[in-house]
Amino acid sequence: MSDPAATELLKLDGIGIRFGGLVAIADLSFSVGSGEVVSLIGPNGAGKTTAFNIITGFCAPSHGSISFRGQPLNGLKPHEIAGRGVVRTFQKTSLFDTLTVLENVLTGLHRLGRSGALQVLLGLPSVGAEQRRLCERAAEILDFVGLGGRQDQLANALPYGEQRLLGVAIALAADPALLLLDEPVSGMNATETTSFMAILAKIRARGITTLLVEHDMRMVMEVSDRVVVLNQGRIIASGVPSEIQRHPEVIQAYLGQGRRRARH
Amino acid sequence: MRALAPLAGLAALLAVPLVVTDQYALHILITTGIFIIAAMSLNLLLGYTGQLSLGHIGFFGIGAYVSALCSLGFQLEFTDRLVLTVAPKPVWLSFVIAVATAALFGFLIGKLSFKVRGAYFVIVTLSFAEVARLVALNWVSLTQGPMALNNIPPFTLGLSDAWQLTFYRKLPNYFLMIAIGAGAYLLIARLVRSRLGRAMVALKENESLATSVGIDVTRYLVLAAVVSAGIAGAAGSFYAHYVRIIDPDIFLFIYTVTMVIMIVTGGKGTLLGPIVGGILFGFIPPVLREVAGPELQWIIYGLIMIVVVFFLPEGIVPAVTRAWAARRGRAATASARSPAGS
Repeated sequence: MSDPAATELLKLDGIGIRFGGLVAIADLSFSVGSGEVVSLIGPNGAGKTTAFNIITGFCAPSHGSISFRGQPLNGLKPHEIAGRGVVRTFQKTSLFDTLTVLENVLTGLHRLGRSGALQVLLGLPSVGAEQRRLCERAAEILDFVGLGGRQDQLANALPYGEQRLLGVAIALAADPALLLLDEPVSGMNATETTSFMAILAKIRARGITTLLVEHDMRMVMEVSDRVVVLNQGRIIASGVPSEIQRHPEVIQAYLGQGRRRARH
Repeated sequence: MRALAPLAGLAALLAVPLVVTDQYALHILITTGIFIIAAMSLNLLLGYTGQLSLGHIGFFGIGAYVSALCSLGFQLEFTDRLVLTVAPKPVWLSFVIAVATAALFGFLIGKLSFKVRGAYFVIVTLSFAEVARLVALNWVSLTQGPMALNNIPPFTLGLSDAWQLTFYRKLPNYFLMIAIGAGAYLLIARLVRSRLGRAMVALKENESLATSVGIDVTRYLVLAAVVSAGIAGAAGSFYAHYVRIIDPDIFLFIYTVTMVIMIVTGGKGTLLGPIVGGILFGFIPPVLREVAGPELQWIIYGLIMIVVVFFLPEGIVPAVTRAWAARRGRAATASARSPAGS
């Protein structure tokens, strides 16, 4: 593992957020180095998805700062943050339901398109050329996640596991430098999870840094370079997976079941 | 094939006057056509971005009034000494000014929707059209109020005074309506098939997912509102120079409702939906007028609407498209199976 400080991509510093009287996140500081796969784990309600919402601009922190490539992300709108290459998926399956699989990914490619209103309304040839280029790119991405044969199906007609993959394909289409995956394998069976781990390895091979929120411990321990453990809005441990598995506080708060399962 | 179908449709529309020569029938065709153009423009907002603008007739009316006033010339009295006098402009220039003014109002409404969505957007747009109507009704020195603006000049086509065609008769106005309609269709089709149109649909389908992949949804909502209002303004301007008299009733809410009915029954979010729905609900009232009493007319109109919405909730065009695809799919599997079966 390379020194994370040298190539720090994302840095959260003293982030906190309160919803009314509830402190969802008390004080959260961690960083993600370029090329790393970092997992954020913790029991339900620990503040993992809230952390994602803060990083991607869907909600504003009460205090603290976030920076990406040394530039502050605070106060930017979600689409501006995505514009800098920070793209997320959603815990609850989130697709453009009534569009086809290909159209879903084409919509994800929006950021890569250049044609503006005037060019489109005038019907310039560059618009058609760009459209063809983006369609090819969308087909590539679908092949990449293994949905190559599904192009013309409606998104909401896909089986659940494939809908999850399409969610990842849409995020990949937006050309992320940092990909935030919110429980990507929740609801998938063991086989689907294993093949998703292969996709994750390919994403990594493309040089995309990944921040993962996940409950599936087998996957977390296998794919992560580092694991950050949250409980009740605070970090209780962080380190490489083998350290985390041995950490007494983590075992108490969260991993007890995971270890038992790992034994048989 | 896909590129040829609209051209075939256009050719058919151009050939209609060969069959329909009755002046009254031609008038119905033209006014329905104007309505369909306005409905097509509303469909861009309602069908593609998913925002219900119940004040769409406002853009149409503003287009009509601006165009009429520019072509007639007008005076604005700010104070006793400060009077702005605008000399009559050629009709084509009035048309351009009308489109630009309507588009500007579209821009403002679109910007406003950054703050208000859903029910609030509906109320804001509804109030916008109502305010426009009240202004037209009460600013008598400018709009003549309920006395109406009349003697509005018709469109003219010509290079110089030597050769000039003035659109007094129905037939040239019919062709002009088709030309404006075809232009509007082309602009909307280009827009919705582009990445900009996909961004609009993304806003309708799943706003948070759209923003998470970097789509600035407000920007595309504003773009849709500007193009939509501009086209509605063009339809309004053409209407003013065709009927050549307009009064504040042009802003009535019922016209927006009629457009929404055309879009919803035809199929919102489809290019052909407003045209199919518009032909159906544009021609039903004049046809019924021939055969039924006034009370019965509206009962039948309502019943037809309920039947269409009840049995084809997505609209006629999506239902027909699906039935066609299913038939072709069955035919394909049948032909694939037959060699194995024999």
